[in-house]
This record gives sequence, C-alpha cells and structure tokens, in this order.
Amino acid sequence: MVKVINQAEFDEVRNSELAVVDFSAVWCGPCKMVAPVLEQVSEELTDVRFFNVDVDKNMDLAQEYKITNIPAILVMKKGKVVNSQIGFAPKDVLVEVINNAR
Amino acid sequence: MDRFDIAIIGTGPAGLEAAITAKIRNKKILLIGNKDLSLKVKKAHLIKNYLGIPEISGEKLADNFERHLSDMEIEITEDKISSVYAMGDYFALQGADVMYEADSVILATGVVLEKAYPGEQEFLGRGVSYCATCDAPLYKDKTVAVIGYSQKEEAEAAFLCEVCEKVYYLPMYGGATPTDKAAIKIPTVKENIEIITDKPKEIKGGMKADVLITSGAELKVDGIFILRESVAPSQLVPGLATEDNHVKVNRKLETSIAGCFACGDITGAPYQYIKAAGEGNVAALSAVAYLDEKKRKG
Repeated sequence: MVKVINQAEFDEVRNSELAVVDFSAVWCGPCKMVAPVLEQVSEELTDVRFFNVDVDKNMDLAQEYKITNIPAILVMKKGKVVNSQIGFAPKDVLVEVINNAR
Repeated sequence: MDRFDIAIIGTGPAGLEAAITAKIRNKKILLIGNKDLSLKVKKAHLIKNYLGIPEISGEKLADNFERHLSDMEIEITEDKISSVYAMGDYFALQGADVMYEADSVILATGVVLEKAYPGEQEFLGRGVSYCATCDAPLYKDKTVAVIGYSQKEEAEAAFLCEVCEKVYYLPMYGGATPTDKAAIKIPTVKENIEIITDKPKEIKGGMKADVLITSGAELKVDGIFILRESVAPSQLVPGLATEDNHVKVNRKLETSIAGCFACGDITGAPYQYIKAAGEGNVAALSAVAYLDEKKRKG
C-alpha cells in the first residue's frame, strides 16, 4: 500500500528504516501512470514503507528534497536519500532501485 | 477502452512488415505512424538489394507497401506516441490526445540522429526536462530556457511564459540565419520571453543544472526544457535498456522489458530496408509467441 502523507506527517518517513517516497502531482501524466506500478511493487516488498507526497500541497518538502522533475521516487533510510528514480519506470526497474539501496 | 494484442509504433519497412505478419497471425493490431509511411523510404533514389525487386525507387517501393497494406486491410492510425508505459501486464501508449492500451508493443520508430547536449543526460530530472506540460509548475516564478526543435513547441513556450518569470526560447528550426530566427514571434501576455538565436552548447550546474552555455553567452536559468521532434528510445519507453542510443535486443528482438519488442533501424546498423523488414517479421512472431504464452499462463 502507498500511503498519502503531507509535511506534518513526514516524520513517519524519517522514522522508517527503509521508505520509498513518490513525489508527484495530480496534473502530471507520468505520475498517474507510475502510481499503480508502485502500488504493485509495495505489495511485493512488504518490508519497505511506501508514501506519496503531492508536491503542490507540500512545496516546502519538495524544495527540501530539491524536486525539479516529477515523478521523483526517492528511496530513504531514516529520512536520508540513498537512491532515486526520476520519471516513470517499469516494475522491475523500481524493484531494482529499491533493492540496490538496501 | 479497446485493448489491442499488439501495438506497432512506426510505419517504415520494419513496422509495416510487423503489422502484416501479425495480421496474418490473426492478432488485433494497432499500427501507429504516418499515412505517408516513411520519409526515409520515399526519399530513396534507387534501391537495388530488396529481394525480388531488382531495381526500384523509394517512391515506388512505398506505393507497393501501401498496396500491400490495403490488400491486407491494415489501417494506419496517424498519431505521435510520446511515451510507452510498461504497466506490468499491459502497456499504455500516450498519443497526442488519447491513451492506447495493448498487451504487447513493437517499437519500429527508426533511428534518432540528434545527439544529446553535454550535461543533458547528467542533469535530466535535475533541471533538465523533456516535457513542459509535465514539469512547468515546478518552475513557477523562475527562469527557464526552452530549446524547441519545431514550430509547435512555441505553444509550449507560451504556456511556460504563463507560469515562469522569464523564458529564453532557442529555436532550432526556421531560416538559416540568426535574423530569420529572431523574427519568430510568440504571443505571450506577460511579454517575458526572449528569443535567443545562439546555438545551445552545453548544460552545466552543481546539484542541479543552472547554466545553459550557448555559442554566444551563458544563460543563468533554473531549468532547461529540450523539446525534440523525435524522442530517443530510452525516453519513449522509460526503463528500456539501450546501447549507444539503440534499443538493446536479442535474436528474438525482445527488449529488456517483457512484451516489448523492437525492430528496424532502432535496433542499430546496418540501416537497410530489407534488414528492417526482416526484423519486423521476427518481432511480430516473437510478440505472437509472447501473447500465446501469456494466454496459456492465464
């Protein structure tokens, strides 16, 4: 499951051993396409926590993580970015990006 | 929505042969490209090594292709696919206005000759973008440069003007002289666009791209939009493995993504019509085998 969170709830990411955060927006086509794929990945990698952040509603977070293109899928350990995937990616690639960060 | 068995992108010899073979195998196909088929074929002066046709002009060969298609009742859908998304068990193809769905995809879009600018790949996603519609809001009240390869990108630049504080527009088309290019007018409300006739040279930056170096100046920008006519295979299909700007394939013309096949010039040299057609045949049969296997597994 991918949990939609906002700025105020972001500590949940910072407290996660391994988290994947999908920075996206409602107007972005590739974001819409990658969302169901990420959902599939989240069902497979059950030890990883998955989040979604709407960049329009959370501009400060987007700036903090220097998001300039979306979707930006960041893999974080305790809130620290260890790997990332910018733009749409198929399931296998996403799984690899996450597993390479372990 | 209609789900096709095989979506074929490209109407050169590779795409057409793939369509013909897939049609013979009774697959529900979507052939996307140009009703004029392929400029590269039409412009060929004389072709001497196409088996069964000792000598033929490109124009005549294209006529033959057209007759072959109409005999087989294959129709061409005129559209431009900007992205192919591998959704897991199917593919979504983004057209100009509509989204298509197919169980498998054959890429036959030919070869892209334009080279990436130094720094372009490095900063992609960090200040470099290929899609104004997608990323414009991230550059609200900021300065961006737009490198446009065709006139229709002027509309994208105008859209960016609404969002950004300042837009530099570098037309890569138009007349031969800088004066011709300077004559390009893009109507904007805020009059915050500047036409730059210098050639882009390099993209530089630190954490993210912040300078576009041109033949005459260094433009300080927050983002650079590069809007090309044809998209490189790795952009067309995000996540697709490529090698020197060609799609990586095996003998069955399978790509790194299951259900996605490639044929013709896009797989690399030699850039020959009969090689492209032959690969189209192989790609279609591989797609048919993939669909059969998928059906068996349920």
